[in-house]
Amino acid sequence: MQYLSIIKEEWDKAIEQLLLSYTIFASVESEFGIDYEIVNPANIGKISYNKAKPATSLKTFFLPVKENVTSGASMKKQRVIIGAPNCDIQGLKILDEIYLDKEFSDIYYRDRRENTVLISIDCLEKQEHCHCTSYGIKPWSDSDSDLAVIRNGDLIILRVNTPRGQEFTNQFSVVHELRDENIISEIEAGHKKAESLLNESNKGLPNYKETGAIIKNAGREIWKKYSANCVSCGACATICPTCSCFLLVDKPGFEKIKQLDACQYPGFQRVAGGEDTLHELPERFRNRYMCKYVWKPEKFTSIACTGCGRCIEACIGKINKNELFLELAT
Amino acid sequence: MTSVKNIYKPLKAKLTEVIDESPLIKTFVLIPEEEFSFGTGQFIELSVDGIGEAPFTPSSSPHVSDKLEVTVMKTGYVTEIMHNLKPGAYMGIRGPYGRGYPVEKFFGKEVIILGGGCGLAPIRSLLYALEHIKDKLEKVILCYGSKTPSDCVYKPLFNRLNNTEKFEAYRTVDRSDEEWDGPVGVVTTLLNKIRFDLKNSVAVVCGPPIMMKFGTIKFLEMGFREEEIYLSMEKNMSCGLGKCGHCMMGEYFVCKDGPVFTYNEIKDTPNIWS
Repeated sequence: MQYLSIIKEEWDKAIEQLLLSYTIFASVESEFGIDYEIVNPANIGKISYNKAKPATSLKTFFLPVKENVTSGASMKKQRVIIGAPNCDIQGLKILDEIYLDKEFSDIYYRDRRENTVLISIDCLEKQEHCHCTSYGIKPWSDSDSDLAVIRNGDLIILRVNTPRGQEFTNQFSVVHELRDENIISEIEAGHKKAESLLNESNKGLPNYKETGAIIKNAGREIWKKYSANCVSCGACATICPTCSCFLLVDKPGFEKIKQLDACQYPGFQRVAGGEDTLHELPERFRNRYMCKYVWKPEKFTSIACTGCGRCIEACIGKINKNELFLELAT
Repeated sequence: MTSVKNIYKPLKAKLTEVIDESPLIKTFVLIPEEEFSFGTGQFIELSVDGIGEAPFTPSSSPHVSDKLEVTVMKTGYVTEIMHNLKPGAYMGIRGPYGRGYPVEKFFGKEVIILGGGCGLAPIRSLLYALEHIKDKLEKVILCYGSKTPSDCVYKPLFNRLNNTEKFEAYRTVDRSDEEWDGPVGVVTTLLNKIRFDLKNSVAVVCGPPIMMKFGTIKFLEMGFREEEIYLSMEKNMSCGLGKCGHCMMGEYFVCKDGPVFTYNEIKDTPNIWS
């Protein structure tokens, strides 16, 4: 694994320099928490490192809530996204399977993927509902983001994950190969600590495969119980890094607007004749879990729930899917 | 952006003729602006400019490439506006999408087709395709039911088929009227009257969900194997590309993995008949 280091002050200057050629987004810490902001010279110093996780999922950068997919423009400037946690990086893999499939590739999605350099963060601490390790995902990325960034005191450490990441670092004149074994050991110790924090706080939570098996066999009563507080707002799906259902809306001139949709909204599967397999709320509620843990795993190779826990955070009915799974597992 | 086909962009097609089939059903004859071909049983997304689009399986022959016929029942918002369109209008088409009828698997066999209501639209396309390869088939029997005699679509089709070598066509209605002197009863009752070689037959079912369900049960009772019963499924579809999620039926995207499935493939999938 190749590590590079750069003094934090030089890194901030390098980012400012990069603003001339890239649009840069980064997770930034504010009084409201951590979320992505477009980077400008004034907020470079506020970029968040080592901490889980931006409130918004990475999906938003690749699947806008609404876009014209018949006359939309291609990206004018390459993008850099700093601060994506590995849960979101893994979530992107299932979006790739759906949107970049060989037969029907989405040119708008592909354009964004091809023109974005992904710099992930290592989560060295966890948030309340983080549970990536329960689903076999590490809280850091060593292969699917282009680079990973870690702050170590006055140093910024970059882990090079892809050739594109390597190429990107060639733009930094003040970057050095990291040879200090102590720092590398510190990083590795940080990984282990984060993992054990995650494992400890999610003890007993069934893994991804087991979850699929238990929810497949769950009776209607449990879905009724847990959907009782659901108001079908769709926040869980909107904030989810892997939920990507959409609706095409027609506009004059045979234009199509693609807007994100969710199976939690009433009428999602209603046909013109009126039949609606998801008419009942418990059915609709169950559908999202069946899709994520039973059907998608049968269809795709990537995971459809990355354990980011945002659906729990976003739910205004305070529905906690992990409580549901723990109840089913016991 | 790399210049590759935009999967969301419709191809314009000129509406040249509108044929009244029944009080609620019309056939739209379309000439696409570019060459367009499809496999029988595949579907297209047909759009009314600025209004919306909906999935339909063309009812015309897959061997005719200069025009396309789509039979539409007035059921909802988009189809109601479609029914008001006049020749000369332009519509949008995307597709063809999905897995159609595997006609090559029917070679050497007897094909027993059960159709109901507007389900005869995809079947008509299949019949054209089967006529094209009739030398390779043993026999084709169509059993079709409509609510009333006036709800029957493509009325001239039945006579034509009955005058075509290797083809037989039968009709029934749920409710008779003064002029009807044919059979009355649900469409599955026609299956009691036909003669065929069970060991060398395949079944095709297309129609409203309730008819699909009882048609399948009837074929199973008659001894058809689950993998020899072909069903054309219908779900809410938006993209047709296996992406938007609306047509998900268990682990299947009906738009991409279907719309034609064997009963064997989907028998354990929930809600297939609704």
